[in-house]
Amino acid sequence: MKNKEKPTVVWFQAITCNGNTHSLLSANSNRLELFFDSFNLIYHPSLTIDKSLDDILNSNSKIDFLLVEGSISNNKKFFQISNNSTYNHLTKLIKKATYVISVGSCASFGGIHAMFKEHVGVKSVKEYFDKTLLKHQIINLGGCPVHPEWLLQTMFLLKDYGRIALDNEGRPKELYSSLVHHGCTRNEYFEWKVEGEFGTKEGCLFYDQGCRGPMTHGSCNKILWNDVSSKTRAGMPCVGCTEPTFPRDDMLNTKKNIGIPFEVPLGIPKRAYLSITGVAKTFKIDRLNKKLMD
Amino acid sequence: MKTVDIVERIEGEAKLNCTWENGLISDARIDFLNFRGFEYILENKSPLDALIYTPRICGICGQAHLKATVDALENVYENIGEKLEITPKAKLLREIGLNIEIIDSHIKWFYMFILPDIVKLETEDLGIYEPIKGKRWLEATKVASETIKSLAIIGGQWPHTSYMIPGGVMSDPTLLELTTMSNYLDGTIKFFENSISGVSIDKYLSFSKYENIEDLRGDLKYFSDLSLKYELTKYGKSYSQFISLGENTIFKKGRFKNKLINGIDYTKIVESEKNTFTIEDDNSEDKHTWAKSVLYKDEFYESGPLSRAMISNNKFIRSIYTKYEDSIYTRVFARINEVALLLIETKKLISKIDISQESFLEPKIDLKKLDGVYGESAIEATRGSLFHKVSINEGKIFSYNIITPSVWNLGPKYNNKFGVAQNAIIGAPSIDISKLILRSFDVCSVCTTH
Repeated sequence: MKNKEKPTVVWFQAITCNGNTHSLLSANSNRLELFFDSFNLIYHPSLTIDKSLDDILNSNSKIDFLLVEGSISNNKKFFQISNNSTYNHLTKLIKKATYVISVGSCASFGGIHAMFKEHVGVKSVKEYFDKTLLKHQIINLGGCPVHPEWLLQTMFLLKDYGRIALDNEGRPKELYSSLVHHGCTRNEYFEWKVEGEFGTKEGCLFYDQGCRGPMTHGSCNKILWNDVSSKTRAGMPCVGCTEPTFPRDDMLNTKKNIGIPFEVPLGIPKRAYLSITGVAKTFKIDRLNKKLMD
Repeated sequence: MKTVDIVERIEGEAKLNCTWENGLISDARIDFLNFRGFEYILENKSPLDALIYTPRICGICGQAHLKATVDALENVYENIGEKLEITPKAKLLREIGLNIEIIDSHIKWFYMFILPDIVKLETEDLGIYEPIKGKRWLEATKVASETIKSLAIIGGQWPHTSYMIPGGVMSDPTLLELTTMSNYLDGTIKFFENSISGVSIDKYLSFSKYENIEDLRGDLKYFSDLSLKYELTKYGKSYSQFISLGENTIFKKGRFKNKLINGIDYTKIVESEKNTFTIEDDNSEDKHTWAKSVLYKDEFYESGPLSRAMISNNKFIRSIYTKYEDSIYTRVFARINEVALLLIETKKLISKIDISQESFLEPKIDLKKLDGVYGESAIEATRGSLFHKVSINEGKIFSYNIITPSVWNLGPKYNNKFGVAQNAIIGAPSIDISKLILRSFDVCSVCTTH
């Protein structure tokens, strides 16, 4: 394939910690190389060398994929790039773009940066540009950071099929319809209500440690992180970073009311949840109450 | 004459304002114009939430912030006379995680953020070093992603894991997992030997004098040859005063001012907003950046790998320093030198883990039950010393102060004294050289203006 035939990609960095960039760089290296071979990344502020942001802004060329990392603001006081607000830059860029993808929670939902109260106007890409006449819907790849493989899969899918099914939050259904809970290696402990503790391989982190796996959309336990693991597999509770509600308060603690989790797994009536866990709790399964390895 | 230049391809963006006299830079102002308000965001949060927030200050040094937060929260317990017991296993797993992140970051920095610009001094054709396309560039990204897998085994993922917690760590690796971690680092060692240094890592680590540079092959030798040719040994000199606030198995704490001074008194650290924007709208003309100035005993000190090498008395780097002082050359060398040191030491740390120990011992008192307490910590992060200070009132974070490595190096002038990087840029003959000087500090605007 000739270089000019490859879809062009521009990566715009707004209000961000660069975590999504480093997530991409931590992708499976064969996949990353295939991405570089299959797309023409003409601009990324940290990676490319031959063009500046101003070159891209002043060029009339179309952008096939505009990837946005970070939240957006129209306020230059707290945040500006190349002498302008992130909103003004994006207004220009978005007009040139065929597909707009919000990479990570900040671009998708505002994220952590929207919590800085003094900086009024920090929002997601969609909040600012949803009314813009775009050919395609803005795609939200929630996650703090985004899983690199989710980004690569979305890009390849759009390149090959030109369409993608999205959920109510603008996230690709194929990546976000299941829960982080699916594929968690601690699921059996969840089923039989065996509580976990920090620093152990055994037990479920939903009951005390604030794990959001059963109510968070994402494929962290199906498509492993860095090819090797996931937070819950390693022992860290899911903090729900793919959802618009991230970050929440008191993230490493399960909010409870008389010993009952305030929020129960998604879609399960509280009453049903309580009856089932009540029954499950009556079983004392030795295997699940022992160490996996002595 | 005045010029303004926007510097991209650092972590974030900076603006360089230079004043020229007789073809040389006579004054340099560095502006960081982005502020995200993390210290404000943290106010009123549950103390443990800081473990989720602070790693997100920076996508490349999140583990450093995590470690600093955990240490500061544990210091709270110490200050109320309830010092937590942390098992050697948990301490090792924390240090290992942070080390892996530093290795990853140094490799990325060398190949993505500085080497292409140095090669450009010689030729427009970057060849194997060309971003996105070049063979070595691609190899470097591959090695970085393989290296970080080693951390993901204990953290569940990278970036943005919060696997450290007051009382220990959340994970509990098996022997098999420890072996796998070590395997990934073996791959990185191979890359260091084959591509970076061109000699075995053991031989590299035996280097103790400047002349050993002649034994090098690989990219470090290429860097060295280009540096000598384009006089990167001459540029980028600042105060030759170094500080290292954190201490661990490899690095010592102290400062260097003409001679080595052991020990640090944290109360002598003063942060100033004299030339720094504030969130209130009272920004006078002097204020031009969101980065603050930070001084130790009223003086500027450089922080980072060169400082660590000077204070920990690394013979090879000190011999280079003796010849070329705190130039671009020495600074870059010190950073790459750390890759070898960290790789070997981290493998040793992995081998020291006793998996039969506990990973986590639950603190007896909940931080949410505390009132009017504070804790502080200092650790060594990729770019230098990181300082966190937290105070808790009625179980909530009352204030959180963070002084990052980039603030030490890249902060603005204070009274009549130039900041460290500013001072290093003055005297540079071109914008290209001044940008290289800036890059030699591993500029991170997201960390400068957290």
